[in-house]
Amino acid sequence: MLRAALSLLALPLAGAAEQPTQKPESLGEPLPGLELFRWQWHEVEAPYLVALWILVASLAKIVFHLSRKVTSLVPESCLLILLGLVLGGIVLAVAKKAEYQLEPGTFFLFLLPPIVLDSGYFMPSRLFFDNLGAILTYAVVGTLWNAFTTGAALWGLQQAGLVAPRVQAGLLDFLLFGSLISAVDPVAVLAVFEEVHVNETLFIIVFGESLLNDAVTVVLYKVCNSFVEMGSANVQATDYLKGVASLFVVSLGGAAVGLVFAFLLALTTRFTKRVRIIEPLLVFLLAYAAYLTAEMASLSAILAVTMCGLGCKKYVEANISHKSRTTVKYTMKTLASCAETVIFMLLGISAVDSSKWAWDSGLVLGTLIFILFFRALGVVLQTWVLNQFRLVPLDKIDQVVMSYGGLRGAVAFALVILLDRTKVPAKDYFVATTIVVVFFTVIVQGLTIKPLVKWLKVKRSEHHKPTLNQELHEHTFDHILAAVEDVVGHHGYHYWRDRWEQFDKKYLSQLLMRRSAYRIRDQIWDVYYRLNIRDAISFVDQGGHVLSSTGLTLPSMPSRNSMAETSVTNLLRESGSGACLDLQVIDTVRSGRDREDAVMHHLLCGGLYKPRRRYKASCSRHFISEDAQERQDKEVFQQNMKRRLESFKSTKHNICFTKSKPRPRKTGRRKDGVANAEATNGKPRDLGFQDTAAVILTVESEEEEEDSDSSETEKEDDEGIIFVARATSEVLQEGKVSGSLEVCPSPRIIPPSPTCAEKELPWKSGQGDLAVYVSSETTKIVPVDMQTGWNQSMSSLESLASPPCNQAPTLTCLPPHPRGAEEPQAPLYPPSDPHPSFAFPPSLAKAGRSHSESSADLPQQQELQPLMGHKDHTHLSPGTANSHWCIQFNRGSRL
Amino acid sequence: MGVAHSHSASEEVRELEGKTGFSSDQIEKLHRRFKQLSGDQPTIRKENFNNVPDLELNPIRSKIVRAFFDHRNLRKGPSGLADEINFEDFLTIMSYFRPIDTTMGEEQVAQSRKEKLRFLFHMYDANSDGRITLEEYRNVVEELLSGNPHIKESAGSIAEGAMMEAASVCLGQTEPDQVYEAITFEDFLKILQGIDIESKMHICFLNMETMALCH
Repeated sequence: MLRAALSLLALPLAGAAEQPTQKPESLGEPLPGLELFRWQWHEVEAPYLVALWILVASLAKIVFHLSRKVTSLVPESCLLILLGLVLGGIVLAVAKKAEYQLEPGTFFLFLLPPIVLDSGYFMPSRLFFDNLGAILTYAVVGTLWNAFTTGAALWGLQQAGLVAPRVQAGLLDFLLFGSLISAVDPVAVLAVFEEVHVNETLFIIVFGESLLNDAVTVVLYKVCNSFVEMGSANVQATDYLKGVASLFVVSLGGAAVGLVFAFLLALTTRFTKRVRIIEPLLVFLLAYAAYLTAEMASLSAILAVTMCGLGCKKYVEANISHKSRTTVKYTMKTLASCAETVIFMLLGISAVDSSKWAWDSGLVLGTLIFILFFRALGVVLQTWVLNQFRLVPLDKIDQVVMSYGGLRGAVAFALVILLDRTKVPAKDYFVATTIVVVFFTVIVQGLTIKPLVKWLKVKRSEHHKPTLNQELHEHTFDHILAAVEDVVGHHGYHYWRDRWEQFDKKYLSQLLMRRSAYRIRDQIWDVYYRLNIRDAISFVDQGGHVLSSTGLTLPSMPSRNSMAETSVTNLLRESGSGACLDLQVIDTVRSGRDREDAVMHHLLCGGLYKPRRRYKASCSRHFISEDAQERQDKEVFQQNMKRRLESFKSTKHNICFTKSKPRPRKTGRRKDGVANAEATNGKPRDLGFQDTAAVILTVESEEEEEDSDSSETEKEDDEGIIFVARATSEVLQEGKVSGSLEVCPSPRIIPPSPTCAEKELPWKSGQGDLAVYVSSETTKIVPVDMQTGWNQSMSSLESLASPPCNQAPTLTCLPPHPRGAEEPQAPLYPPSDPHPSFAFPPSLAKAGRSHSESSADLPQQQELQPLMGHKDHTHLSPGTANSHWCIQFNRGSRL
Repeated sequence: MGVAHSHSASEEVRELEGKTGFSSDQIEKLHRRFKQLSGDQPTIRKENFNNVPDLELNPIRSKIVRAFFDHRNLRKGPSGLADEINFEDFLTIMSYFRPIDTTMGEEQVAQSRKEKLRFLFHMYDANSDGRITLEEYRNVVEELLSGNPHIKESAGSIAEGAMMEAASVCLGQTEPDQVYEAITFEDFLKILQGIDIESKMHICFLNMETMALCH
């Protein structure tokens, strides 16, 4: 707050400081020599002022939003304009002259592009194209209508003598004025309508109109301006024709420039795989280049950026990384919001400068009435025509909101400032009128539109989350409609949309999308994916207890040693996303908690994100630790999917999947469990441990952690097949990961990986005998693009483990140097970067993995064999022996 | 309607108008198209739809074509498929896609909405038992995804996800051991509550002058 006050003070002072500083210099030479303190205001003045203005605007925004009540009643744009008025007043009072105007150059080159880019990029394209007809009609016909009627009516007003004679303007001048005052302003519309939340169709029509009418405004303005400059006498018939032709040139040219740049942008982002860090920059650069190019060729720059954003989004989003996507989104929103704030504030400040404007009540009142009236009339007439063709007609309430929502804003102001006073003698009057119109529409209409919408009971937009079913059905609808149009032989909208989608899929997407992105590119899949992520996140939010959407319960946290549990849970909750959840950290806490930690780890692996590791490369300026997020997403998605899938099958349908392979093993395994239980009766915890480690991914095994042996065996009896299948799948993954981590990490989805502790802690090895089971089910969870790789590694593992009794233990005897009792305390492996070669192309990695896994694992394990030689026989008869081992070990750890 | 039997035809047209709600102008246009499709036969068979070139790329083509011959959609019976349909049947199917009349009352709109959804439901419910089972759902999703071979295999899990979602919508909080077998039509309506059918299942039959272009 102090800084706010300071900067507020500094601004007028800065303006005022200029004259006084010059005087002392001219009076007496400052002493030469070493200066202890040098004041270099002028060197930093321009950027400093810009920064200060933005800071003031941002702080003002914060202040406004301190009170929810104020912002709910008054739109932000109104508040900003009022603030600008106050600030302008202060500047005027201090500096005795108005400083800091909204310069048209600044406005068009720097302030407008971010807003338009933001709105174009985040435009709901489906909605936009569904209503394109209406939007174009309002944008083109409506704007033309408004411009001509307003201009002509004002001229009529002047002829009638209601405008003071000192306003020297002819018909052309009034038409020029009409053309600049008639266009609905995107900035103002966006600012107001974003807070009103009318239904989507209404919003997209008004907003789309405000964006697309730019071309018409530019053309009208330029044509009228040049006519005025030529003088009405010199205008010839061909000039009118040229004017009409330029409308097409400007609008289509602008759109074409935008599309060309969209194409370039999409194509560029296809090749940024190694330099992810510049992806967001590319988006902004090329979009800005589109704007400037269009401006340079005096085409419609707004249209260019809108089309660029609209066109590139689909491909860019598919190409760039998840992080870049977030960056683009936030940077775009920040820039747009910043620009909008500054625009409104500067508008307020500019209005204070009375030297620039001259007042004429007749003109001002006349303009206000005419723009309101003709806007309403135009909307009603056009809507009547449009409704003949629309499936869902726009009703009267919509029309009222549309007429009333025709806000004028900074574009009109900037255009009127640009007028040449020598050619347009009435410029000062026009400026004053424009300011009044802008203020009236933004403040009065902006203030009242919310109550009006409420009072008229306009259909509001309802925010319902996308559901998979709806997405599926909507796709079905689209296809049905396209098909029926085909059958009827009526080439309507759906037909062409269908055509376009075919074309896009066949050529464009293939050309503009990364191959990996293109392969899994599908809307249904996207929704499915997003829902899964959402579920996973909500699952995490709820502390991992409940799966939100289905109300299924997950394995409850280990409830025995509640201390360990709560500490880990708390750590998890408090530390949020950026935390290092790696259990290696926790493992260093030397206590008897190791096993709880291991359980937690598996729980986290199953339900949460992958434990984050700090990558060495993360401090590099040029590379971000690549794909960590994507991989994580995929992983969360997978885990969640697995859970959904399995719980769905087992609980909803009670489908038992019969598997040829696990079945014969099943009984053995169950016996193991029982034997285990019997053998370790004194130490039930160890048993609990083994089993939780094995089945931690199961959804319904809440009681798995129970101490009582009976409940456990019951459980197993209940759903033996599923139980075993899952256990194996996880063990299998573990075995695989432990291999792949060391050898050839790939940017694929890594199934729950064991902590280093687990790799080394011997009780893990109790599951060795399970590794032979190959669950066919797991393949389902792997995204399709990974499936070949998955299958390969599966089969390689399978073959590896095919002589079950001999080979299986080797798989899990991985703990390379079990150094007896000191093991749990030893900090294990240093948390070295386990993914040194992330940049591996997936295909390469995939191909390489199965290879290297099997080949690299084997020698390693064979080397280890002698080390563990004396225990080999125990592994051959898995269950009991293992538990002995465990017990031994745990004793060690407890010492 | 051919010129030859225009006399009796006008009465027929009026009858059809009453039945399907199309205007005589639309009926005439549709009839022309019908003739084109059937090759001047009084009925259309499934094979006739093969002649529509644009239809070939439609991923759920078979389902849609089947819907044309479905007795339930033709209001001829609770199940089964017709071998061929005549013009009246054709119009009946087409009338599912008629825009909702603005003059209609609230009840009629709801009724029409229900009809349209029933058409969709019948498309999913392949064995006409009034329920969409997981298997049937998966079939539809598979066809929807058939355009993209890379994710086609995940159709099963997507269908299962959708089914679970349906279960949670229809049953509320589910018990872990509760079995949700299939989507009934009531559930179907519940699931689709958020979608405004008014703009989704409609086709403007107004201007069909482009018809000549096709074929």
